[in-house]
Amino acid sequence: MGETNEKVAQNTQEGNWDDYIKAYYEKPASFKSWSGYDLKEIYRPGDRAEEDYNQNIADAGAYPYTRGIHANMFRGRLWTKREVVGIGSPADTHARLKYLSQQGGSGLNTIADVTYEMGLDADHPWAVDEVGLTGVNITSIKDMETLTKDIPLDKVSWSLITASTASSVTMAQYVAVAQDAGYDIGTLRGSIQNDPIHFRYCGFRPACPLDLSIKLGSDVMEYCTKNLPKWYYTTVNMYDLREQGVTAPQEVAFGFGIAMCYIDELIRRGLDIDEFAPRFTFYVSCHMDIFEEVAKIRAARRMWARLMKEKYGAKDPRSMQFRFAVHTAGCSLVPQQPFNNMIRIAYEALAAVLGGVQSLHCCSYDEPMCLPTERAHLQALRTQQILAYETGVTNVADPLGGSYYVESLTDKIEEEALKMMKEVEDLGGMEEAIRTEWLDRQFESEAVQRQKELDKAEKLVVGVNVFTTEQEKATPLGVQKISLNSAKQQIEAIKALKQARDMDRLNDAIKRLRDDANDGKNVIPAMIEATRASGTTGELLGTVREVFGYPYDPMETLKSPFNF
Amino acid sequence: MATKKKIKVLVTKVGLDGHDRGAKVVSSLLKEAGMEVIYLGMFQRPEGIVKAAIDEDVDVIGLSYLSGEHLIFTPKIVEEMKKNRVDDVLLLAGGTFPAEDIPTMEEMGIDKVFRAGSLTASIVDYIKDHVEE
Repeated sequence: MGETNEKVAQNTQEGNWDDYIKAYYEKPASFKSWSGYDLKEIYRPGDRAEEDYNQNIADAGAYPYTRGIHANMFRGRLWTKREVVGIGSPADTHARLKYLSQQGGSGLNTIADVTYEMGLDADHPWAVDEVGLTGVNITSIKDMETLTKDIPLDKVSWSLITASTASSVTMAQYVAVAQDAGYDIGTLRGSIQNDPIHFRYCGFRPACPLDLSIKLGSDVMEYCTKNLPKWYYTTVNMYDLREQGVTAPQEVAFGFGIAMCYIDELIRRGLDIDEFAPRFTFYVSCHMDIFEEVAKIRAARRMWARLMKEKYGAKDPRSMQFRFAVHTAGCSLVPQQPFNNMIRIAYEALAAVLGGVQSLHCCSYDEPMCLPTERAHLQALRTQQILAYETGVTNVADPLGGSYYVESLTDKIEEEALKMMKEVEDLGGMEEAIRTEWLDRQFESEAVQRQKELDKAEKLVVGVNVFTTEQEKATPLGVQKISLNSAKQQIEAIKALKQARDMDRLNDAIKRLRDDANDGKNVIPAMIEATRASGTTGELLGTVREVFGYPYDPMETLKSPFNF
Repeated sequence: MATKKKIKVLVTKVGLDGHDRGAKVVSSLLKEAGMEVIYLGMFQRPEGIVKAAIDEDVDVIGLSYLSGEHLIFTPKIVEEMKKNRVDDVLLLAGGTFPAEDIPTMEEMGIDKVFRAGSLTASIVDYIKDHVEE
C-alpha cells in the first residue's frame, strides 16, 4: 500500500515537473493583436510623428476627441451602469429591473425577445413557444404599462433595446404610455436601439427589409428630433456586427457605413446634420485584447469627428462627439470553466472604461449557458462597481493616451478602418454592399476564420484549447429558468384584450396609419394613436409592411385582420 | 475497396432563434472535412426538418440552439422522427446550454450535445466514429 502510494507520488512528481519546467520557459504563442496585426517588441517615440498632438489627438473634450468627448471625463460623471434586462413577461422584467436599480444600477435597460423583435404578438403561432425566452415581448400598450409601472419616466434614463423595425412600435408604445401618465415627452431621457439595418444580420431579415428599415428607423429619428430633444434615438449597433466574428477595424468601418445610411436619409428629408447628429449613439463591443479595444475606441472617436465635420459639414461640436455604450463581448465567453468568464468580463469592462465609455453593460458570467440568474446579474453589476469605486481608473481622462504603443495602434486601426470604408464606397456605398450580400460574405468568412484560429490554437482560450478540464456537471450559481406560466398568462391577456377592444376606434386608427404610410408621412404619430386604441405590435407593423409591399406577417402565417 | 459514400449532414436552426453564426461555421467546416452538408437555415419547424432529413436521406441532423429553446423543440423533433420512423439518423445539438440540461437533452433523444467552445475536430471525429460503423 505504502509502496504504491510512493510510486504514484513519484510518477505525479515527474509528470508535474516536466510541465512545470515547460511552463517556466513558456513564451506567448502569438505576437499578433486579436485582429491579426503584427506587433513590435516595443514602441518608441519614432514610431509616430510627434508634431500632430493638437491636430490628431488633442486633449479630451477637444476636436477630434481622440482622448474623450468630455474634458474632465469621469470626474464630471461616472459612466452609466446599465445592465440589460429582459426575461419572461413584462412583469418579470419589471421585477428584475427594480432589483438591479436597488443595487446601485444607474440606467434602466430592457431588451426585446425574439418574438417582439420579429414584430409578432405574443399569441402569434410562431411566438407562443418562445415568448420571454430571450427578453421581453411588448404586444400592447398594457404590456408597456406593466413594464414601466411606478418608474418616474421623467427622471430615469431608459435604454429600450428593440433593434428591428419593431423599434418604431416600441417608441410609439413608450411615448403613448408616458403621455397617458401625464409626462411631458420633451423631458424623457434615454435611448432606443433603432438600428433595423444591422438587425438583418442577427437573424431578423423577415422583419428588416432594407427599404423599410431605413424608412422606419429614420421615422423614429425624425419624430424624436422634433419631439424628444433629450432622447438618443438610434444606437448604431457595432457590437452585434463584431459578434459575427469580424475584427476591430471592421466593427468600426461597417458600423459607420450603416450609420451613414440613416444620415443620408435624414439629410434627404431636409434635416440639417446638426439637428440630429448630436443624438446619434453607438453600441461598441469590448473583446479580449485590451489595448486593441482601447485603440479601436480612440480611433472611432477621431474618425467620427472627422466624418461629421469634413464629409457632412457639421458645425456643432456635439455632432462630432462619438458617444457610445459598451457591451462586453458575449462571444468571448464560453461554458467551459464558467467562472473564468467573470475575469474575461472584468478585463473587457476595463478596456471600455480606459476607452472613455458613456454607458456600460457587463455580460453575466452565465451568458453562454442561459439568461442571467439574479446572482449572476448582480455579479456583473458588482464588476462595474469595483471598477468604478476601487481601481482609480476614473481619475484621469484617457490614461493610455500618449503611450507609444496605444497611439500607434490607434493610427493602425484608423488606417485599416478607413481602407475598409473606402472599399465599401467603391462598391457603391453601404446600401449596395448590403443588397449585393457583400457584407454577408465578410461576416461568413471572418466567422470561419475565427473558429479555425481556435482549432489551430492560433488564438488561445482557457478551457477551450488550452488548460482544458472535464466538463462541469452543474452551473455554479444555478440556472435561470423562464416561467412558462408567465408566457401563458401574457398570451391569454393578449387574446382577451383583442376580444375586448373598441373595434371602431381601432379600425379608424389603423386606417390613419395605413394612409400616413401610403402618403409617405412619418408614421410614428399614427402608431402612437393606434397603440392607444389597443392596436398591437403585429398589427401596427403589419399594416405598414403591407403598404410597402411586404407580407403583413413576417412569418407569412397570419393575414391582416383589417379589411377596408 | 469500394469508394466510401460521403457522410451527409443536415444542419438547421429551429423556430425564431436568429443566432446563426455557429450553424453556418459548423456547416462550412464539416464540408471542409469532406462531408456533404445541407444547411436549412433559420425559421425551421420540426415537421420541415424531419421531412428534409428523409428527402435528403441524411446520416446526421445537427440542431443549433442559442436562445433557450432547446428543451421546447427537441421533444417535438424527436416525436416527429419517431412518427416517421427515422431511427438511423444521428441527432446532434450545438449551442448554448446549461450543463444541467445536457442529460435532459440526451434523455429526450439527442445523441451528443456540443456546447459553445467545442473544437471542430471533436464534432468531426464524433460524426465519423458514429456514422461509419
